[in-house]
Amino acid sequence: MMRHALTLTLLLAATSVFAQTDITTTMSGDQATQVVRIAVPFPELNPPGAAAPQPVDMNEVRTAFFGSLTRDIAYSGFLALAPLPPGVPITGEVLKRINAQLHLQLNVWSEGDDYRIDARLVDPSGATQLRKLYRSPKAALTRTAHMLSNEIVKTLNGRPSVFLTQIAFASNRTGNWEIWLMDWDGANQRRITSHGALSLLPSWSPDNERMVYTSFARGTSDMYIINRRGGGRTRVHSNLALNTSATFSPVGNDIAFVGSVNGNPDIYLIKDDGSNVRRLTTTGSVESTPEWSPNGRQISFTSGRSGSPQIYVMDAEGTNVRRISFEGEWNDDANWSPDGEKIAYTSRVNGRFQIRIANLITNESRIVAGEGSNEQPTWSPDGQWIAFQSNRSGRWQVYRMRVDGTDLLQLTFDGENKGADWSKKPE
Amino acid sequence: MKKISKVIVVSIAMLALFASAACKTNRKKVEPITQPRVEETRPPEVEAPPARDTGTPVEPARDFVVEEQNPPEVMPSDIDALNRWAHERGHIRDAFFNLAEAQLDDAAQSALQASATWLRGEGAAYNVLIEGHCDERGTEQYNLALGDRRAYAAKEYLTTLGINAGRIRTVSYGEERPFEEGHDESSWAANRRAHIVLVQAR
Repeated sequence: MMRHALTLTLLLAATSVFAQTDITTTMSGDQATQVVRIAVPFPELNPPGAAAPQPVDMNEVRTAFFGSLTRDIAYSGFLALAPLPPGVPITGEVLKRINAQLHLQLNVWSEGDDYRIDARLVDPSGATQLRKLYRSPKAALTRTAHMLSNEIVKTLNGRPSVFLTQIAFASNRTGNWEIWLMDWDGANQRRITSHGALSLLPSWSPDNERMVYTSFARGTSDMYIINRRGGGRTRVHSNLALNTSATFSPVGNDIAFVGSVNGNPDIYLIKDDGSNVRRLTTTGSVESTPEWSPNGRQISFTSGRSGSPQIYVMDAEGTNVRRISFEGEWNDDANWSPDGEKIAYTSRVNGRFQIRIANLITNESRIVAGEGSNEQPTWSPDGQWIAFQSNRSGRWQVYRMRVDGTDLLQLTFDGENKGADWSKKPE
Repeated sequence: MKKISKVIVVSIAMLALFASAACKTNRKKVEPITQPRVEETRPPEVEAPPARDTGTPVEPARDFVVEEQNPPEVMPSDIDALNRWAHERGHIRDAFFNLAEAQLDDAAQSALQASATWLRGEGAAYNVLIEGHCDERGTEQYNLALGDRRAYAAKEYLTTLGINAGRIRTVSYGEERPFEEGHDESSWAANRRAHIVLVQAR
C-alpha cells in the first residue's frame, strides 16, 4: 500500500506591503489530489466600492482576523492557500495562472468600536458561492475569523469544521490550578474557575454548555459542574472519596467517575444532580479514568488488576469487560475517536509516556512519538486532531497535532498546563 | 533480591528525608515540613510558611522564639509548628511505597508503628489527615486513584495499631504535590508516600 505524505508549503501573500505567512501543512497523497486551491488576498480596508468611514488598525486586522482566518484555511485538510503574486490586482486571469479554484474577497472596516466584515467566496466564473456579513467587537475578531472559516468549510465540504471548537484544560498560571478554556488554535485563553485551590481534569458535556471537573476547594477532592462562561457552579455530592476523572455521558445525564470506598477506587455512575450512584467495577484493584464511547454504550477505563495499569472496555452497565492494551507497562487516559473505532491513550514506552492509538476493529496500535513525555490525548470532534500535554519544553504544556502526528502546534505557554479536553460538538 | 531492593528503597527514602532539607522552599505552603534538623539554632516557627487562606499577617509564635536555642522540648500548640516538630523528632513518620504499589513494606510498617505509638500517647489529643502521594512517573489520573489506596493502606494499618478510625481522614493528591521537584530516583522515592498531617480534633 503506497501512501506517501506530501508536504505543501503554502505561501500566502497579499501585496508586497504585507509580509508573507508561511504555513507548512501535511496532507496525505489522496488528500492532496482533492485539494481546493483558494486565493485569499489581504482585505480591502473599506466597504465594497466606498471610502473607509474611519481609519482602520491594519495590524489588528492582520493579526486577530486575517492571520487566524488563513491559518484555519491552511489547516482545514482540504483547502490550500494559492500563492498570490505581489502587487498585482486579482483578476480572473491571475486566478487561472495561480490555479486557484476560489477567490475569497474580503472587506474589513471600522464602524464605531466595531469591525464590519464583508466576505464573498467567488469562483472563476464570478459566481458567489458564499457571502457573509459580520459586525464584530474588537475582542471578537479572532472568533469572527473562525466563524467565517467554518462557513467556508461547511459550504465546500458539507460538514462543519473544527475551527469553532474549544479546548478545556487546567492551568496554574495564576498560582493555583484552575480550569481554563481556549479556542482550537490556542487563542482566547480564559479562566473559568476561581477556587483558589487545586482544580483539575475538566470534561465537556455533550452539548458544549457545561464542564465537570475535580477541585480540592474543600480540602478533599470533589466533583463540580460549571457552565462554560464560569457561572452556575454546583458540587455533585457522591458520598464517596476521590470523585476524579468525571466525564459526562454523550447520551442522558449520567456522569462516569472514579469513586472510592475504603481505599478501593472503582468506576461509578452518578446523575448530574448527584442522585443514583451506581458502582460499575467491583474488583479489589485500582480502577480509574472512565471514558464513554461516542454512542454512550461502552466505557473504557484503566485498571491495575493485571498488576500494571492497563486499558479495558466494558459495556455501560459494567458487563462484558475486555482488555484492549497489551503493550507497555503503564497505560492510562483512554479517549475514543468520534467514530468510536479508535482509542488514543497514554502508553509508557522505554520509560517515557507516548500517545498510542489503538484501532478497535483491527486490534492494531501505533505510537505517535514525540519528545519528552506526552499524556492525556483528546480527540477533536471532527476526528482529525488530537490535543495532549507534553513536558518536552521542561514544563507541561498543551499541544495539538494531526492524528498522524504532523502539524504539531504548541497551544499554551503561560505557567504549566495539562488535562486538556476537546469540546464534543463542532459548533 | 526482593530483600535487597527493599533495603535500597528504604535507604533512598531515608536519604531523601535528609536531602529534602535543601528544598524547603519548594514545598507546598499548606503542608508541614518533615525533615529532621540537627543543628537548629532558630526555632522552626521562624520559617513557618504563611498560611494560605488566612488574611492575617504571619508572626512567629513568640512563646517559642525568644529563649529556645534548640528545637522545643515542649509540644508546640500551633498546629503547623506541631507538625514540623512531630516529624522532625520522629514522633510522626510517613510511609513510603514502591512504584505503582500501595502495599506497606517493613519500613513503612515500622514508620507507622512509631506514629501510632505517639498518637496513642503524647499525641492522643490530635486527629490525622493522611495524604496519598505518587511520583511523576505515573499518569495523573491513575495516580489520583493510587494515592487514595496508599492513604487508606496507612489508615487501615494505624487502626490495627489501635488508632480509632474516627480520628483519621484521607485525601489523595496523586502526583499533584510532589515533596521533591527533582526527576531522579531519590525524588521519586520521596514522593511516593502516605504523608501524615496532624490536625486539631473537632
